[in-house]
Amino acid sequence: MAPRLLQNFNGGRAYIVTSNLTAVEALQTTLGKLGVTSICPPLTDGRAELDIGAMQAERDILFIDGDLDNPVALDTDAGSRQPPVPIIGLVGVEAPSRLKQLVNLGATAFLRKPVQGAAVYTALFLGINQFLLRGDLRSRLDDMDRRRRGRRAVVKAIIARMHDAGVDDDEAYEWLRRESMRSRQVLEDFCEAFMKARAEALDKPTRRLPESRSAETR
Amino acid sequence: MASKHYRIGVMFSTTGPYDVVARSMLNGALLAVAERPAEGVSVEPVVVNPGGDLVRYAALSRDLLNAGIRHVVGCYTSSSRKEVIPCFEKHDALLWYPSHYEGFESSNNVIYTGASPNQHVLPLVDHMLAHVGASAFCVGSNYIWAWENTRIFREAMMARGARVMAERYVAVGDTELDQVVEAIIEARPAFVFNNLIGTSNYAFFRAFRAACLKRGIDQPRVIPVASCTLSEPELEEIGGPAVDGHLSSSVYFSSLPSPTNAAFTRAYRETFPEGPSTSADAEASYIAMKLLQLALAEAGTDDVEAVKAAVTRQRLAAPQGDVHIDPQTLHAYLTPRIGVSNASARFDILVEAPGPVRPDPYLVQSSPRYAVASRNSSLRVVK
Repeated sequence: MAPRLLQNFNGGRAYIVTSNLTAVEALQTTLGKLGVTSICPPLTDGRAELDIGAMQAERDILFIDGDLDNPVALDTDAGSRQPPVPIIGLVGVEAPSRLKQLVNLGATAFLRKPVQGAAVYTALFLGINQFLLRGDLRSRLDDMDRRRRGRRAVVKAIIARMHDAGVDDDEAYEWLRRESMRSRQVLEDFCEAFMKARAEALDKPTRRLPESRSAETR
Repeated sequence: MASKHYRIGVMFSTTGPYDVVARSMLNGALLAVAERPAEGVSVEPVVVNPGGDLVRYAALSRDLLNAGIRHVVGCYTSSSRKEVIPCFEKHDALLWYPSHYEGFESSNNVIYTGASPNQHVLPLVDHMLAHVGASAFCVGSNYIWAWENTRIFREAMMARGARVMAERYVAVGDTELDQVVEAIIEARPAFVFNNLIGTSNYAFFRAFRAACLKRGIDQPRVIPVASCTLSEPELEEIGGPAVDGHLSSSVYFSSLPSPTNAAFTRAYRETFPEGPSTSADAEASYIAMKLLQLALAEAGTDDVEAVKAAVTRQRLAAPQGDVHIDPQTLHAYLTPRIGVSNASARFDILVEAPGPVRPDPYLVQSSPRYAVASRNSSLRVVK
């Protein structure tokens, strides 16, 4: 299910990383109207004094001036470009190198400098909701990856079940699926556990395989 | 002391599909000019009429501002306001917008004297759920006002466990509403939430009442209609047997019993005997023009920044009660009320807030953090 849309930003906290404070006056005014407090952290040797680790994705938003050269040390996932909090780029110079930096940081919305108040709500709405959507897609991809890695165990489990119970592949798969649901495990995890238990049982030939709930219980 | 003279733009579509309300707004603004509320200031209104044509709003705004005018009282529809705001921002001029609207906007070049959504639609939702029922059929004119006001209404209803059965939109000026009326009668909601404007609105009320009568349905009691736009001059336009029993959420009704309102309605009637009657939007226009003159007097100039600063210091004893402008959002503190129309084309006031309510145009204080998800099931019936 897609993440819910966030549309009320009251209680939010914006960190505005820029050296051009006059260009963000309207941004700060409009954020105040939206119930978002704003902070312009000082820049030391070109780096913003920010504790990224203490930021919370549900509350904090980073506005980063694309005209600054790498002003924030962010732990952005290189593959998904998913930063720890939503990032909205402040665009001054419209050059590919500047814009690329913002894309690489994972910015999900942009505001032109000097910021016009009328554009702020849209940027917040898009920036935060795109961030939530990307996070949701990232976790879905992670889940798909995990399941892809478990595919081998599923194939092995189907073959084993066909062998153990003398059923065809469809019936074997149905049985595995049903048992995984009964044990409240995803299919891949169940098949892995099933193969492990089966291997242990086969290693001890004096003990019988645990009698599984089989097709006749259907 | 010699008066300072200012030319002020006044822009209302006094012809076209919503001319009735717009003419009452023009009257409200002109009455405030005639009353000369601020010493040392004389105002010359420069009146223009876009005729309900969206394209003409921006062109006329440009003409006014290019002629050196810095302040314009005007616009009724949200689409026209959104059309002209870039022009006011470019010229750094000030639009005084005197109508209730759907919120989610706060331009630094607009003073909003009409009601914000927390002052009209949210009180209406609470009233309808407490006194009428928990299912609604929404109708509206097909533009931003109805889309957004219905969206706010829908989310507020769902957050309170109530249900929106359907939404229908018709073009501004469309008066063929039989299909919508049939759909409502078939759906049998507890009430209709209506965001139609102008001639579509009047046609809807007439057609709905007539269709209900034909079926023996006591419409005001069985399927009442609740609006955030319905005003006295519109009741007169609806006329005949369809005028009574309609609910309206508004910050002003002409039947308010205060002496200030009695003086306002009397002066309005004497100045404009041909009508249309006073309305919430006429009062908001009157408030806008009065506040503008008071701010011009205090600022001693028509410079936009100086006037904006001055207007937030004004306290106006308006026909509806005390009104002042919130310095953060440039929207007005206003007093929400709910009335029900009577056969005399006036409203009987059912409930009112104890005092002016702070404007919350983005609903940051009065809406959930996340959009309320639709309860329409994603499961399909396959048999």
